[in-house]
Amino acid sequence: MTDQSFEEFLHLSVDLTAFEETELLGTGLAHQYLAKVRAACGGEVVSALLDAHRAARADAADGVGGHDPAVLDRALRHRIFSDDRLGPVARNVIKLWYAGMWYGLPPEWTDCYGARTAAETATVTAASYQEGLLWPAIGANPPGAKAPGYGSWAQPPRIDDRYLRGGAK
Amino acid sequence: MYAKFPDGAARRTDPAAAAEVLYDAVIVGGGIAGAIVASRLGEAGKRVLILEAGPAEDLTLRGYEAYLDRFYSAISKDNQAPYPVVANAPMPRGTDARRIFPGAPDASAYIVQNGPFATDTTYTRVLGGTTMHWEAKTLRMLPEDFRMRTLYGEGADWPLGYEDLAPYYTEAEREIGVSADVEDQAYLGITFDEGYVFPMKGLPLSYLDRMVAGDIDGMPVELDGEKRELRVRPFPQGRNGIPNPAYDGGKGYVPRGAVSTYQVEVGGRCQGNNNCVPICPVQAKYNAGKTLAAALRTGRVDLVAQAVAHKVHVDERTGRVTEIEYRRYDRPDSPGFTTMRARGRLFVLAANAVENPRLMLASGLRSSSGLMGRNFMDHAYLLAWALLPEVAGTFRGTNCTGGITDLRGGRFRRRQAAFSVDIHNDGWGWARGAPMTDLIDLVDAGGRYGESLRQGLVDRVSRQLQLAFMVEVPADPSNRVTVDPAITDSLGNMRPILTYDIPEYTMRGVAYARQLSKRIFARLGAEDHTAYDPAFWGYAVHTGEGYEIRGGNHLAGTHVMGRDPSTSVVNADQRCWDHENLYLVGGGSMPTVGTSNVTLTVAALCLRSVRVMLAQLASETAPIHLTSHGAARGRSPEVAQ
Repeated sequence: MTDQSFEEFLHLSVDLTAFEETELLGTGLAHQYLAKVRAACGGEVVSALLDAHRAARADAADGVGGHDPAVLDRALRHRIFSDDRLGPVARNVIKLWYAGMWYGLPPEWTDCYGARTAAETATVTAASYQEGLLWPAIGANPPGAKAPGYGSWAQPPRIDDRYLRGGAK
Repeated sequence: MYAKFPDGAARRTDPAAAAEVLYDAVIVGGGIAGAIVASRLGEAGKRVLILEAGPAEDLTLRGYEAYLDRFYSAISKDNQAPYPVVANAPMPRGTDARRIFPGAPDASAYIVQNGPFATDTTYTRVLGGTTMHWEAKTLRMLPEDFRMRTLYGEGADWPLGYEDLAPYYTEAEREIGVSADVEDQAYLGITFDEGYVFPMKGLPLSYLDRMVAGDIDGMPVELDGEKRELRVRPFPQGRNGIPNPAYDGGKGYVPRGAVSTYQVEVGGRCQGNNNCVPICPVQAKYNAGKTLAAALRTGRVDLVAQAVAHKVHVDERTGRVTEIEYRRYDRPDSPGFTTMRARGRLFVLAANAVENPRLMLASGLRSSSGLMGRNFMDHAYLLAWALLPEVAGTFRGTNCTGGITDLRGGRFRRRQAAFSVDIHNDGWGWARGAPMTDLIDLVDAGGRYGESLRQGLVDRVSRQLQLAFMVEVPADPSNRVTVDPAITDSLGNMRPILTYDIPEYTMRGVAYARQLSKRIFARLGAEDHTAYDPAFWGYAVHTGEGYEIRGGNHLAGTHVMGRDPSTSVVNADQRCWDHENLYLVGGGSMPTVGTSNVTLTVAALCLRSVRVMLAQLASETAPIHLTSHGAARGRSPEVAQ
């Protein structure tokens, strides 16, 4: 595992989850998640995923260090999410961050790309459940951990205003 | 204040030595019923032996954390997820349930399901029993629940009334440590002693509850000619809240926190972990370990674990129980065992409403009424789920803080089952596996990632409302637990065989519940997403409409109490008509299950029975002859009268 691929995995994860790098690092699990994806799918698939993400960011670069979100979205869909090999892995990386669990990839994937270990559903560590991003995303604690305190449930949820206004059904 | 578990108490009793002791009482089962009986008898100076089927170490914080760790790591976070699977003392699991096809019983899991209805009902065979995973709602039964036959011509009358049980409800509320406010709980005839307050103040309603109340409070309902208005009401809860200084005539109440062998300050108050089921991480929720710790501290209560009762031996001449033969397994993961016996003056089966009749029937003791194992009851749960128009912040609080209890009683019970309604703070978790299923669907099918995923989660999860209608099931002798000598577990104990169908009376209540849920959702402006899957294992059709019915783990009715030995198994004191020194305690004694979760009533019944046990022990004071026996040989000693 090189420092560079770890950095790239973080960049990929930021785009996939919409949580900031500091929040992802704050789970203490980023290294283990990269290792989990490698162990499940093999190093070659991970490299290809990171390459595709680097290319997508390059497509969307605005030349002054930022990127155009609409172009990045299109590039991610075209280069990663619609790709038979990379799409399921990228979606699993999202679920890994949000649920702390590696969901087994279907036989269609393992038949094509080897890596039988990818088919096994598994928690990464006991902590990974507690660090799932799903819970902060909905303003809640993971059931059974990170208790918010007596009576906190009577208050409105701590969900960022921008998601409350969205209200799209 | 922590609940001190005496160091070494789980292993201090040598089973071989215990076989030489004639105990005042031998108790089968270390759950809430057994723990309460043991603690009270121990405090009264009696010698007690508890046989626990599951493995038991001292209840330490470290041991409890092992449960938690197993829960965190489990892929399926069902209500048994934290607890170890032990083949020698197997237990049912919600995930076992399979659809049953006529003529093909499902024997794939511990409980053999004979159908026609398949249930996912469970109980937990570990020290502390099912209170380890219970949700800890502690509703008293209604006065009318005790007089169903007289009032409504349905179900059965109890041989005792609400007023007989009320003092024991009060005592049970102290033992469990109930948080509630009397002004919220006095309805439909439930009364309290003058000036009574609960040990702790009621837990506040959730933000979600209050959002529902905003539209539902005052909603008119007319049923069987009776008009009433619904309201969202807090549930009494067996978890620690703010102590009420007015409790016990101004003496107040000190909450009991986590059980441990050393001083630890945790569990004094609910922290909102939203994980009552399957495990409260801080033990703010009562579990029977708190009572067991007190029992073992008396020094007169012995505990032998890994001890599965195999047979109740009876003196054929007198009908008295002479000993309980049990199989003590050496290791949880291998089938080797030693046959042991336990002798006592009284015997108390406190296993639960499936395991009690299972053991009796496996011992050939069918009750002269023929009712052993019959009249199995549970609650039938109907779920209905919707999305609220606004974000309610679902998934916060205890699993359930409030609900609608106005339809627990009334004249309509002549025709259809009553119910209590829970507002679930954990969204569509029970119905559809939320929020993980929402996450998977948004990512895999919805193509969501990044900001659109975060938005999607708030839209889909934080607006979830799930109502759980807990519908009463009346006693029906055809619903029953049986055994078959050919169907045994790895220790050679006969497994329970369950024959269960949902009575029409209950289904009429279910159909009405679904109709009411539609009205509630319409009043809230909520999108109804309820859909019942015909492939679901608990799918039941009533007048052309299909429903998903789930079990409630509120086991009852398999050794019903009554006034007449020909129509009941035990009397009002839970003493067997056939065996004067045998008590079958717990939900099995209940002739009706009403619309309360059963544990508080089980506790109250046990507290009441303890008085009778003590009186019986005092009256049977003749000297007792003991002959010497090895642990695994010989018959029981005679008990001289």
